[in-house]
Amino acid sequence: MSSEVFTQLVDAHYAALYRFALSLAKSPSDAGDLVQQTFFIWATKGHGLREASKAKSWLFTTLYREFLHGRRRDVRVTSIEDLPPGESDVAAEDVDRAARMDAALVVAALQTVDEVFRAPLTLFYLEDLSYTEIAETLEVPIGTVMSRLSRGKAQLRAALQQEEKTAKSKVVPFDGAQGRKQA
Amino acid sequence: MTNTEAKFLLGAYRANCRDAGSALFGEALKQAKADPALGSWFARAQAHDAAVAARLQEIAPPAGLREAILAGARASRAPVSKRSFPTVWLALAASIAVLLTATMALWPNRAAAETARFTAFAIDDTAHGKHGGHGEAMGALQLMLSQPTTHVSAGLPVDFAALRATGCRTLSFAGHDVLEVCFNRDGQWFHCYIASRADFPGLSAKAGAEFVQQAQLASASWSDATYHFVVVSEAGLDAVKRLL
Repeated sequence: MSSEVFTQLVDAHYAALYRFALSLAKSPSDAGDLVQQTFFIWATKGHGLREASKAKSWLFTTLYREFLHGRRRDVRVTSIEDLPPGESDVAAEDVDRAARMDAALVVAALQTVDEVFRAPLTLFYLEDLSYTEIAETLEVPIGTVMSRLSRGKAQLRAALQQEEKTAKSKVVPFDGAQGRKQA
Repeated sequence: MTNTEAKFLLGAYRANCRDAGSALFGEALKQAKADPALGSWFARAQAHDAAVAARLQEIAPPAGLREAILAGARASRAPVSKRSFPTVWLALAASIAVLLTATMALWPNRAAAETARFTAFAIDDTAHGKHGGHGEAMGALQLMLSQPTTHVSAGLPVDFAALRATGCRTLSFAGHDVLEVCFNRDGQWFHCYIASRADFPGLSAKAGAEFVQQAQLASASWSDATYHFVVVSEAGLDAVKRLL
């Protein structure tokens, strides 16, 4: 693969890969390392991929595998059976909340979603991959992707609500009367 | 199909309508149109998905990540011991990044690389951006661009400051403003990105246009004395070439 084509590949996908990595790794530096590692593997192995159209899926799959390999073994992973079912209703206030929150709060909420749901959910919101491509990337059946999206979205709505409450509680209201007394 | 089943399927339908052609969603979409309760749920779900997706797109990769990736790839051409991968990778990437920075001014392909970055930025924004903008100056330019007789590379009457000041959509690329003007020609949408060459002296000043086809999006980029332009569209490379 020529360096020009490789540069085009990087330019086309590194931002989306970083956003995906950030949702998984939770730290910007770890996310950056994951993206670099993914392109390193591409540069050393992935150039053998004949179908250029598959490059995007290959990169996301590889990044996800690298994340899973690098995860500390002593971290307990919640079994999907342990998790509560998703609530499919979306209230108007959920929509308003998502629209008014800033990107950092949305990412923080996304990072609290159970990992098994977080990966398909982030890929879905990146909007680059269809449900079939998400299934290929995560190596799970299509029905599983849909089920995880449904349950993940329910968790995310709850997490967004919680993040907003937390953010509001950090704002200390100015007590004008108290201020005047002290003055 | 029950509404519960339809909701299950429609939960995987992307808010940017890229799944509109997928047969899987056909029946569920019809049901959402016919059933007011399901339709209302679907509208809220799509609005929520669109809001979250938009916030996620606002997350920018850290400065220098792209350069580190490219430097690391160049380093990987040298034989690298698998066991010492992280150290070798990071050390080589860091040293080459420093070298790249130091020799940037002398790099013969710098203009091409800068132009490719700007094109990639325009393509990414077309795919993910919230297009819009308003203003009399933008409207006049839109009207001109939408005329089949207009050859965009023959010169466009761009008043960058007026467009920006009166509501044309303005983005930031490498710390400088870039304008976007969307226009429709023959039923197809095109997105024209305009950067001042004074802000980006590194952009290629080739006489001819350059074309890129990336997945479903095609682009053409060219420069005049004052501005650098990129037009991106899903209409295909031939349609983009016809604009010029």
